[in-house]
Amino acid sequence: MTDSKQIDQIESPSRSRNRRIADVLKRNRARASVVAFLVFLFAAGMAGIEPSKWFSTVMQGLSVGALVFLVASGFQLIFGLMDVLNLAHGEIFMLGAYVGWTIYTRFDTFIDVLIPLLVVSAPFALMPLWRRYGARISGLARWARTATWGLIVSGAALVVIAITKFPLVIWDPDNYASTPVNMSVQVDLGTLAPLPAESFGWPWVVSFLLLFLGGTVVAVGLSAFRRQGIQPAPVTTRNLATVAGLLVAALVLYLVKGSLNDWVFGLSTTWRFFMAVVVSAMVGAALGALIEIALIRPLYDRPIYTLMITLGVGFVIIEMVREVWGRPSFSMARPAAFNGSGEGCPAEGIGGFFSGCATFVMFGSRLRVYNEGFIVLMGILVLVGVTLLLKKTRIGMTIRAGVQDPEMVEALGINVRRVFTQVFALGSGLAAMGGVLAAPSIGLSAEMGATFLLTAIVALAIGGLTSFPGAAAGALLIGLIQQVIIRLGQTGIDLPFLSEPFKPSPTLVPAASIILMVVILLILPSGLFGRGER
Amino acid sequence: MSLLQLNDVHTFIEQFHILEGVSLDVPEGSIVALLGRNGAGKTTTLKTILGLTPARSGSVVFEDTDIKDMRSFDIAAMGIGYVPEHRAIFADLSVEENLRIAERKRGDLDRKEELIFGLFPDLRRLIHLPGTSLSGGQQQMLAVARALVPDNRLLQIDEPSEGLAPVLIEQMMEAIARLSDTTTVLLVEQNFIVASRLGQSYVIIEEGRSVQSGNMSDLVDDQETIQRYLGV
Repeated sequence: MTDSKQIDQIESPSRSRNRRIADVLKRNRARASVVAFLVFLFAAGMAGIEPSKWFSTVMQGLSVGALVFLVASGFQLIFGLMDVLNLAHGEIFMLGAYVGWTIYTRFDTFIDVLIPLLVVSAPFALMPLWRRYGARISGLARWARTATWGLIVSGAALVVIAITKFPLVIWDPDNYASTPVNMSVQVDLGTLAPLPAESFGWPWVVSFLLLFLGGTVVAVGLSAFRRQGIQPAPVTTRNLATVAGLLVAALVLYLVKGSLNDWVFGLSTTWRFFMAVVVSAMVGAALGALIEIALIRPLYDRPIYTLMITLGVGFVIIEMVREVWGRPSFSMARPAAFNGSGEGCPAEGIGGFFSGCATFVMFGSRLRVYNEGFIVLMGILVLVGVTLLLKKTRIGMTIRAGVQDPEMVEALGINVRRVFTQVFALGSGLAAMGGVLAAPSIGLSAEMGATFLLTAIVALAIGGLTSFPGAAAGALLIGLIQQVIIRLGQTGIDLPFLSEPFKPSPTLVPAASIILMVVILLILPSGLFGRGER
Repeated sequence: MSLLQLNDVHTFIEQFHILEGVSLDVPEGSIVALLGRNGAGKTTTLKTILGLTPARSGSVVFEDTDIKDMRSFDIAAMGIGYVPEHRAIFADLSVEENLRIAERKRGDLDRKEELIFGLFPDLRRLIHLPGTSLSGGQQQMLAVARALVPDNRLLQIDEPSEGLAPVLIEQMMEAIARLSDTTTVLLVEQNFIVASRLGQSYVIIEEGRSVQSGNMSDLVDDQETIQRYLGV
């Protein structure tokens, strides 16, 4: 008694620290018991698995968890800041995979599509100029305002006509020799070559002009929609520089695309894959920003509408992908760096990572370099990167503040809407990147997005919808429980009162994550890390 | 010379007509107290000036610019600081970050450090704590300090004395009086004693209309008006 009192007096800082730890434990009793329960469950499940297998089971769990995390993290960031449940998020993941596959397999097609897109988007950088004309239309009588729609439709028609006359080199889903399915095989065999350029429709100058004109007409039409609070702004040099930049980029790409294609097709598949990851993430980010600006921004006050519109966008993307890439699902050849075999393979230990082998051995378990190595590594990198972004940068600070009170952030003079767009772009970019990373492992199909989004939402429910670390924890748990159940399905569990070992059937895999979610939500209604409703 | 002028401002929140004609004038360098009963539209007036609840008609002129149709962040960036009624301290940010986020130029906080910690010495000690671990009084100080970080021409302070202990109210009043040497203040205050000691002039709002304004010294002696509009 006296002793402890003396110690208390001498070491008051450590005493207060002890008390703080006790406080934290007390407040998190429910959370702690859930974590303890999970550890117990995991240990019990692992007990039935031979030691040499359990490490690979954990790593496979991490791998699935990392992919789920890439979807869940963006979804969480968007929901956390804007309260928008982006139901198209899974489809952006899926589209990311398809775009990544295209850059990886058919770079020539990607460039051919990119050039007209750059030209069409150029006029949109001159929005302040078009608004002056747009303002005149919105000042007209009611019937005359239908001119807005006339402009948009005729502009879009111009763009479509110009694109069909633009020489696109593309696969043909109806002819096996040039289907995506066959091309993936060709990449694997190393026999894929650039497709021969089609004969010209129109001279490129005509196509460029028509595309630019079409984009301009659409932009003028769009600018006629009245947006509250947009002041007439002068056309700055920055606007002009953007237009010039886009046009010059399109022109340069057009002129050098032959040699660019040859160069890219000469690269190893590893470099092409990394390029696919980066470019596809950028395409996903751009698409996300576009969706936010065009569709979500006018509807922030109407949550149900944003829900419906994202659902609709998802369906549109699915059908578009089916139309362009064909209905059958196909695989994506694994890049060379993760696909080696023969002498020296499987490599030993963590060094095996860079050996070019398809598999490596660690702690007596044979792991795939791509799935259990590279994907897990990327998941960790994204977790660390986004955490640093949130904690250490000004935009991260703005996001954390905006999650709580966007109005106050705006009252401080910060353009919150711009931050919304940036976060939407970031989240969509992460999803698209996840899609490319998933493709070599699970292949491509138009339905892959919905499956992953559902899993990601379950993961977020477990981790807490309001918490970014929660997204990581939930994804990790989902990955682990799925893989443990799959493994137990092979080895079986010895249960009392049963003569045969119990083998969970594959249908139990998704069920297990749902059961886990139900149990956790019963104890912690806002998830492991979520904060309760304020 | 007037820094801010509202002329017959009408504001709707959804279909509700909240402000039905508010006119007021904030001369540069003064403290103007916005008085009125609960629900009269004082907070909405502040939010309308900032464009958070945009005015539907009338004019809001700040430094010779009509800011009625501008976006909130553009209005705020013109030099209007806002201390909302419930402080709106960001829970996930530390005290320092709560100040840092208000910077409009890099280094704003370092330049204002002396001023802020001179007014609120307590904050220096709390600088690394999370925003929510502060007491109500400390949060109020932080909210005012946050509005001081950028170079604001006008400070809108909503109910600074609400929920504070008397000794803290004294400190807060002293701080507001001192910072009014450099900034103009538009103050909403329920506590008439606080308002009358700080304000140089007043505007009374009743059911969404500005009904009376003048010098604070005249109002203090006008028991009839006080009874009628403030019901003390």
